[in-house]
Amino acid sequence: MQRIPLKLAQPGMVLAKEAVTSEGQVLCGAGTTLSQEILARLAKQEVLTLTVEGHPVSMPGEKTLPEKLKELDLRFSKVKDDPVLRALKTLIAEFWIIQEKGEDFLKNLKKGKAG
Amino acid sequence: MKREEIRQRLKEVQSLPTLPPIVSKLNQMVSDEDVTAVKLGRIIEKDQVLTSKLLKMVNSSFFGFPQRISTVSNAIVLLGFNVIKTLIVTSSIFEVMQASDIGLFEHSLGCATAAGLVAKKLGIKNPEEVSTAGLIHDLGKIVLRAEMPQEYELVVETAAKRQQYMREVEQEALGIGHGEIGGILARQWNLPERLVYPIEYHHRPEASPDYADVSAIIHFSDIVIRALGFGFGGDKWVPPLDHQAWSRIKLGKTQMRQLLEELDEKLMELQDFTLDIQQDKKESA
Repeated sequence: MQRIPLKLAQPGMVLAKEAVTSEGQVLCGAGTTLSQEILARLAKQEVLTLTVEGHPVSMPGEKTLPEKLKELDLRFSKVKDDPVLRALKTLIAEFWIIQEKGEDFLKNLKKGKAG
Repeated sequence: MKREEIRQRLKEVQSLPTLPPIVSKLNQMVSDEDVTAVKLGRIIEKDQVLTSKLLKMVNSSFFGFPQRISTVSNAIVLLGFNVIKTLIVTSSIFEVMQASDIGLFEHSLGCATAAGLVAKKLGIKNPEEVSTAGLIHDLGKIVLRAEMPQEYELVVETAAKRQQYMREVEQEALGIGHGEIGGILARQWNLPERLVYPIEYHHRPEASPDYADVSAIIHFSDIVIRALGFGFGGDKWVPPLDHQAWSRIKLGKTQMRQLLEELDEKLMELQDFTLDIQQDKKESA
């Protein structure tokens, strides 16, 4: 899933989380497929950001998954020998992979490694 | 520069965070047992600028209150006076930080968020106070930067050049680390020990004379937030984990996954919050 400014939302995108106003009022539920009409209504209610399924928009300055994972590695380079921190690093990497590619992708990735 | 010289200079630190005069008045009032949140709130609310800053902070996502807090006395009841006092004392510091070092500001907000979530998971009382400790854990860096900009720059540059942790370079070049510096200042401002110790000992939490649980949480939250690469804490590396401190926290895999998920959402909200603040600044400038 990806959080994007409403301005970049397009019809056809699917909400991964409910759309809420800054006052906390829920306007559409998760799973809603966005239409031109819904987008106009959200704009009227001053919704600023939406969380949508997948990773449909590439934001300026946003890092790709491989870049993120590489930097993650670098940040952990001084504590490689610590088993707890190694586990933390793996959890973060898995979290990002699932977020971008979905649960199945990670499962297949793990299977591939094992096989 | 030597350690003693720095300690001396810290005593004279007045230029940076001009402590609002309201703080000493509040301190006096709090020592009076009859004082109520409503009375305290009324005093604070006389200062409109301070009030609006305060309400913005208490309503930001790192405390994570579901409903909006709209009055200062309400904030005192919900968050406790220690939290409100700390936010008042440090409000001008955070202004300095927003202007000069947005990376460190984000790192601090991130750490506050993580610390609050961990504290709640562990069932620690007054998790908002733990959040606040996270918010100001790098106080020493802010002071160093504002009071001794040349030394600060040298430390950051040397750390990057030699690929060292910032605090290692601080010890070598200044004879004192940012933890200790922050602790000295926090004590000077009469912040409660539950906040002073975590600032002072966030890199060696087990040396914390008291509140070792809070120090351990700040230690770990600093690690998690650096691991995620949120904000910039002066150098880019994940610091070593104190395993004795970890044994006080010891979240399992499921809990850790949950933490990452909760954190992800809150950190996105925080980015909106910092953008918002910067936007306000531009508009008022």
